[in-house]
Amino acid sequence: MFRFIVRRAGSAVVLMLVLSAIIFVLQAVSPGDPVKAYLGANASPEAIAAKREELGLNAPIYAQYLRFIANLLQGDLGQSFRTHRPVLTDLQSFLPATLELVIFSFLVAVLLGVLFAVSGSLRWKGGALFRGPLLVLAAAPPFLLALGGIVLFYAQLGWLPANGRGVDSSSPTGFVILDSILTGQPASIGLAFQHLLLPGVVLAIAPAIAIGRILRSSLDATMNADYVRTAESKGLTPFTVLRRHVVRNSIGPGLSMAGLQLGFMFAGVVVVEQIFSWPGIGNYLAGSIPVSDFPAIAGVTLVLGTVYIVTNAIVDILQVAADPRLAA
Amino acid sequence: MSDSAARVEGLRVSLVRDGVRSDVLRGIDLTVGRGEILGMVGESGSGKSVLALAMMGLLPVAADPQVDGTIRVGDVDMVHGSPEQLRAVRRNELGVIFQDPMTSLNPTMRVGAQITEATHDSAESIRLMSAVGIADAPLRFTVYPHELSGGLRQRIMAAIAVAGRPSLIIADEPTTALDVTVQAQVLDLLRELRDEFGCSVMLITHDLAVAAQIADRVAVMYAGRIAEIGATEEIIHRPTHPYTVGLLRSRLSLDTPRDRRLLTLRPETASAAERMKGCAYHSRCPLAVERCATEQPPLAPASQGDTAGTADTATEHLRACWRTVADVQGYTHETSDATPIASLARPGASADTTATPAAPAVRITDLTTVFALKGGGRRKRQVHALRGVDLTVAAGEAVSIVGESGSGKSTLLRVIAGLAPATTGRVELAGRGAQMVFQDAGSSLTPWLTVGDILRERLRPAKLDRAAASRRIGDALEAIGLPETVAALRPAQLSGGQRQRVALARATIIPPSVLLCDEPTSALDASLAASVLNLIRELRRSLDMTVLFVTHDLAVARLMGDRVVVMTEGTIVESGDADDVIHHPEHPYTRSLLASVPDIGVLS
Repeated sequence: MFRFIVRRAGSAVVLMLVLSAIIFVLQAVSPGDPVKAYLGANASPEAIAAKREELGLNAPIYAQYLRFIANLLQGDLGQSFRTHRPVLTDLQSFLPATLELVIFSFLVAVLLGVLFAVSGSLRWKGGALFRGPLLVLAAAPPFLLALGGIVLFYAQLGWLPANGRGVDSSSPTGFVILDSILTGQPASIGLAFQHLLLPGVVLAIAPAIAIGRILRSSLDATMNADYVRTAESKGLTPFTVLRRHVVRNSIGPGLSMAGLQLGFMFAGVVVVEQIFSWPGIGNYLAGSIPVSDFPAIAGVTLVLGTVYIVTNAIVDILQVAADPRLAA
Repeated sequence: MSDSAARVEGLRVSLVRDGVRSDVLRGIDLTVGRGEILGMVGESGSGKSVLALAMMGLLPVAADPQVDGTIRVGDVDMVHGSPEQLRAVRRNELGVIFQDPMTSLNPTMRVGAQITEATHDSAESIRLMSAVGIADAPLRFTVYPHELSGGLRQRIMAAIAVAGRPSLIIADEPTTALDVTVQAQVLDLLRELRDEFGCSVMLITHDLAVAAQIADRVAVMYAGRIAEIGATEEIIHRPTHPYTVGLLRSRLSLDTPRDRRLLTLRPETASAAERMKGCAYHSRCPLAVERCATEQPPLAPASQGDTAGTADTATEHLRACWRTVADVQGYTHETSDATPIASLARPGASADTTATPAAPAVRITDLTTVFALKGGGRRKRQVHALRGVDLTVAAGEAVSIVGESGSGKSTLLRVIAGLAPATTGRVELAGRGAQMVFQDAGSSLTPWLTVGDILRERLRPAKLDRAAASRRIGDALEAIGLPETVAALRPAQLSGGQRQRVALARATIIPPSVLLCDEPTSALDASLAASVLNLIRELRRSLDMTVLFVTHDLAVARLMGDRVVVMTEGTIVESGDADDVIHHPEHPYTRSLLASVPDIGVLS
C-alpha cells in the first residue's frame, strides 16, 4: 500500500511537469506579445527592448523554460498584465472563494448522487419522484439552470440572493463560512450559506447524476453478487450486509466518477461564477482571456490542472484502499 | 425435538423471469433426517437451486416469489416466518456452501473476518479453519480470498457453513467449479463435517455420481417435482423412473464404448403448458403412454407390497410414474441399441497413423509461454503457463488434452489459435488453419447479431453472393441439427446446447484443418453434452478435420481423442493411446487424476 502511494505520487509529479511544459509552450507560441500587453501599445521601442531583456525573452527557449520552472518552484507565476499584481497574489485572493463554492457543490453532488443511487437500488417508495426531476434538470446546460434558478428563487420568490458571496471576501483565510465559524458569527454563516446555495446547487446537478448513475449500476451488480447471498445466509441484518459487504465493493466506479466530476466542476465553475458574480478564479480567468493576460491564464490553468491531477491521485489511492486486489 | 433437520411439505414456488411468471417448484414433499446426507440431483432448470434458496428464505425479491406450502427448519416455517425469525434460523440452524467459492466470498474482506461474522469469535474461527483442514490457520486468517487456491476457498466456505453448529448444511453444487482432485477432497470434507459435527447435509448436484459418492439417500428432481427418491443404492442400481434411467445411461464413464454414438435423452418437444398437464417428462420419455400426457403421477412407493402407512418414510423408495416398476426395469436392461458412428470405423483411421505418416496438421516444438503479471512493485511476477511443450498431431487425428485448472491446457490451445503469444518455440499449422470453440457459448457469440449474421461474417472471405451465402448458412445449420429458421434468432433466444451448436457451425462453416475445442461441453447438462460430443465426432469425420479437445473430464477425454495427452504445470507428463492412458496410466499424476473421478461403479 505504502509503495503504491509513493509510486502514484511520483507519477503525479511527472504529470505536473508535463502540464507545466504544455502551459509554457502555449505561452511561447501565443500570438500576443506579452511585452506590448504589459507596457501598452504606445510604448517606445527602447522601453520594449529593455522590458524584453528584463523578462528574459531574448534567452533561448530552453533557458526560458528552466527559468519558468525555477520561478514556479519559488511560487513566482509572473505578474498579471491586467491587475499589475503578482499572479500568485491574485490567486490567493480569488482561489478560496472558488474552493468554497466547488467543495460545497461537490458535497451536494455526492449527497444527491448517493440518494439517487440508493433510492433506485433499494427501490425506495417515491424515489422516482426525486430521480425524475433530477434527471430533467441535469439535461439543461448549467447557464440555463443558473438563469432559471435566479428567475425563480431571486426574482419571483425572493428567497435567495443571486449575486456575490454576501460577506466581505477579505476575511483572514478567504473561506467566509470557515472564518465565520472560527470567529463565531452565526449571522454571517447564514448569509454566506444563502449566497452559496443557488450557485452551489446549479453546479452540482449534472455531476450528481453522473455519480448517481454509475453508483446505482455498481450497487445493483453488487447486490446480486454471490458473496452478498453468502452474507445473507449468515443471518446478518440487511443493514449489516449493506454496510459490510455492499458499500466497499460497489464504491470503486463511484469514486472514479466523483474524481472525474470534481475536475469538471473546476472547469464548469467559470460560467457559474460569472453569472453569480462570484469573486473566484473563474471570474478572474474570464476577465483575463479577452485581454490575453497570459501569466494570469497560465496561473489559473496550472492551479486547475494541479487540482485535477491531485484529485485523481487521491481517487486511485482510495480505490486501492477499498479493494486489496488492485494493489497486487 | 423432531427426528428431522428440515421438513418440506407441499412446496410450490413461482418466480418471474424475464417478465414471465413460471412455476419453478410444483409440489415438493421432502424430509431431511438428522445426520443424513441427502443428494438432490437434477438438470439445470429442475428447480434444485430454487429449493435451496427457499429453504434458506432467500428467494430473490426481484423475481417476486409466490410461495405455497411449508418448510420447517427447527421450529420455524421458512415460508411464513418473520424476517427476524428467518435470520435467526440462518444464523443458528443452517450453513451454506455455494458453487463458486471465488465469487461467494467477499473479495475485499479478509477471510478470517468473513468467518468471524458467523462465529463472532476469532479464536473459534481459527479453530474451525483447522477443523475443515486448513493448514496454518492463524496465518491464513488474515489473507484475502484471491490469495487462496480454489480448494482452500471452498474450505473457507465450509468453515463459515459449520459456524454456529448448524443442524443442516445446504451445499449447492459445491464441487462443480473445482478440479476433480479438489472435488474429491470437498466431498470427503462434507462427509467428515457430518461425522464430526453431526449435522445433516443436503448436497445439490447435477451429477448423479457425485451424489452417489457420499449421499445416504438421493432425490431426483425433474421440472420442479421429485421424480424419484430413495436410498442411494436403490436409485443407482434399481432405478424405477425412466428419467433416472435416462440420466444414468447418458452419463459418461471410463468404460463408455468409444465407437458408438452416446445415448442422449430425447429433446424436449412439449410446450411448458403441455408439460404442466401430465408428467413433465412425458414428451422425452421412451415409455410414455397416453395417460402420462394428461394426468400427473403422484409420488408413490416403488415396491408394490408397501403401503404408505407402514413404511418408514425416511428410507422409503418413492417414484412418480404411471408405468409399472417392471416396465421401467425391463427397459433398463434392454441392450443399448446405440448406433455405431458409421464412419468412425473408417478403416485403419487411428491404428495406422504411425504406419502411414501423413503430414502433421499441428507441429509444436519446445513451446513456452510466460505471462508477466502487472504491478506488484519491483518484483514482477511471472507465470510460466507453458514450459517446453512438444506435440505433433497427425492430419485427421483427434487428441484430447486433459489437466486441471492452471495446467496450461487452455493456454496451449489459445497459442495454437493465435490468441495468446508464444514466448519461445514454434507452432506450425497445416492448410486451412484453426478454428476454436469455447467453453461458454453464451458469451462467445455476439449478443446483438443474429445467428445468420454471425455465420455470414465467417463467410466474408469466400466472397459469395447473398443467395449463395444464405444457402451455405442453411446447410451449416442443417449439419449441426438446427432448423434453418434459427438463422433469424439471436443467441439469447437459444438454449445452452443450441448456442454451443451455433458456435460449432461458426467454426466449421468454412471447414478448418484443425478444430480446437476448449471444454465445449463442461457447462452443459449431461444429456446435452452427450449430443454435442456426438456432433463434434460426426463433424470431424464428415469435414475431415483434425481435432484438439481440451477437457478436465477424463471420461470425455478418452471418448473424444484417439490419443490422450495429460498436462500439469505447463508440461505434458503422459501421452498415448486413449484407452491405454486411461486404463494403464504410467505417470503418478495421471493416476491421481483417475483416482479422483467419481464413479458410480465404486459403489458396488
